[in-house]
Amino acid sequence: MSTQIRLRNCAKTFADGTRALAPFDLTIEGGETIVLLGPSGCGKTTILRMIAGLEFSDAGGVISFDGDDVTRQSIEKRRVGMVFQSYALFPNMTVAENVAYGLKVHGVPGKERDARVDAMLEMMHIDMLADRRIDQLSGGQRQRVALARAIAVQPRVLLLDEPLTALDAKLRVRLRTEINALLRKLGITAVYVTHDQEEAMALGDRIVVMQKGEIAQIGTPREIYRKPQNPFVADFVGAANRMTGQMRDGRLHIGAHVFDAVDAFDPRHGAIIDQGAVELYFRADGLSPCDLDEAHFTGRVEAVSYLGERLRLTVSGIGPQAVTIDTHADDVIETGADVHCRVNADRLTVFPAVAAHS
Amino acid sequence: MSSVEHIKEGRSRPSFPLSLLPLVFGRATPGAGSPAILALLMLPGLIIVAAFFAIPMALVAMRVADGPDGLATYFVILTNERYLASLIQTLVMSGGVTVTALILCGICGLFLVRNRFAGRNVITALLTLPLSFPGTVVGFMVIMLAGRQGVIGSVTDALWGEKIVFAYEITGLFVGYLYFSIPRVILAVMASAEKLDPQLEEAARSLGAPTWRVVKDVILPGLMPGLVSSGAICFATAMGAFGTAFTLATDIDVLPMVIYTEFTRNANIAVAAALSIALGAMTWAVLAAVRVFVGNGATSGTGGGA
Repeated sequence: MSTQIRLRNCAKTFADGTRALAPFDLTIEGGETIVLLGPSGCGKTTILRMIAGLEFSDAGGVISFDGDDVTRQSIEKRRVGMVFQSYALFPNMTVAENVAYGLKVHGVPGKERDARVDAMLEMMHIDMLADRRIDQLSGGQRQRVALARAIAVQPRVLLLDEPLTALDAKLRVRLRTEINALLRKLGITAVYVTHDQEEAMALGDRIVVMQKGEIAQIGTPREIYRKPQNPFVADFVGAANRMTGQMRDGRLHIGAHVFDAVDAFDPRHGAIIDQGAVELYFRADGLSPCDLDEAHFTGRVEAVSYLGERLRLTVSGIGPQAVTIDTHADDVIETGADVHCRVNADRLTVFPAVAAHS
Repeated sequence: MSSVEHIKEGRSRPSFPLSLLPLVFGRATPGAGSPAILALLMLPGLIIVAAFFAIPMALVAMRVADGPDGLATYFVILTNERYLASLIQTLVMSGGVTVTALILCGICGLFLVRNRFAGRNVITALLTLPLSFPGTVVGFMVIMLAGRQGVIGSVTDALWGEKIVFAYEITGLFVGYLYFSIPRVILAVMASAEKLDPQLEEAARSLGAPTWRVVKDVILPGLMPGLVSSGAICFATAMGAFGTAFTLATDIDVLPMVIYTEFTRNANIAVAAALSIALGAMTWAVLAAVRVFVGNGATSGTGGGA
């Protein structure tokens, strides 16, 4: 019932010759929620707009919905639902009129239309706002109206372009949960664009991490989080701490210390990294504070931030740049103090070192 | 389009002594604006109303009452065939100029905002040039275009042996006023079009709306405030403009010309005064009706986008 979307050999070069997207393939299964994740300018929105029919792929690209070739079809024929960061609600219409608009365009008769609009408003918990003007609504209410409007026409795919970015943090989390529940309930195929890693993890069945117009990695949230395939993904999903080391005969050497239990599989080359210089990426759990006699390294605390359930230290003198380490929230640690820590080797992601730093 | 941008735009008018702002905009805290200061600030407005509106209107109205037919003069101008015809003709022509200007400039303005091409700025500059031309000059240009020695006449003479000349009649006046109105409307359309949120159109299209529906449901409502305000100016100007008509011919029966003839040649001051009042009242009535008619769409159009 839900639509499968296939993009084959799609690419985008803009009129001035800049390449927004290198050729790529992507299959989105029916009912699946795919999150396109990446920094601004990485091409994630361009992919969304290609699926929508607002941008066309360079020659050679093919887009199909359930096998129907829609490559040259314009957006109004594709039956896609769109939700924008700026809400894009019609200011000259009420809430109910906004939600009814697509049904009206499709010629759904008045009575059925009213019933559908009521059902949509109720589902999004905004039935009491039906007769309001758009400028009387809060941001969260507006985005609910936009969602109701988009799904009212029962689109083949729901496309969401940073829908929560304009909202404040608390509301963002709440609406994210609601959207998640909505997508599961409808079982609709959805493509969700965001630059927020947490949002991507919470919503996506699979995440497509984008970098400079190329797909850096496709995987489940767990794979992306635990097994980033390259330094960019590791860094982008929060493993921003870095150390350097050496692999010698399958064992990791960091300074004078040697570690055995290291997952040094390099997915890009499909082989275990056995020899040579490596870069190690890790989160705050890659190092833990300990007593001096157990310690691998000693660093100096540059900054302390209290996060409630834990204390986050910024420590210099361990990696090439400062690293973050978490400790118990109750610990009392002053800036400028020495901190001893040990390496949790199973938390390190190992990449071959890049010869020259780019 | 974020609401923050709108707010910023709205606040960035600091070219006014800041301490006076709360007084002028009526947000004075008790005690801050003493009655004397408030009265002083209201004075310019009162002087303008008195000098340019209340006193002249009263004087003109009194002239009607003092005439040979007294207040019945109003009845005369509505029953006299020539006056009535002139009233209707002026109204129809002004309405026609307004509608034509809105359609032409709506298309041109939108095109100029949406497309980037070489010579775009030159075209915009040329289209808005007539802003600086007096009516007489516009009239002269219409004669050069469609007069007896005009371009159109010469071309049609060469092609079909028949000179087409329409400068000295209502058609010429229509062309002149249209030329005169284009810059005002085009600037207003361009200003509104810059503010249109392209995502609104994308949203409408994603819901299946074909181009004509996008124009009707999204673009026109967005342009409406600009169209209404510039159309109003355009209409009022066409109703009262005199220079162009006077340059073209003295026998074009538009209302300002009739008023002029009655006043200077026939010394029929009461009729001239009654016609003046009628001209003013009609213009005002049409503008008021338009405001009421499209008012809702226009206001919600400006409030949107956020």
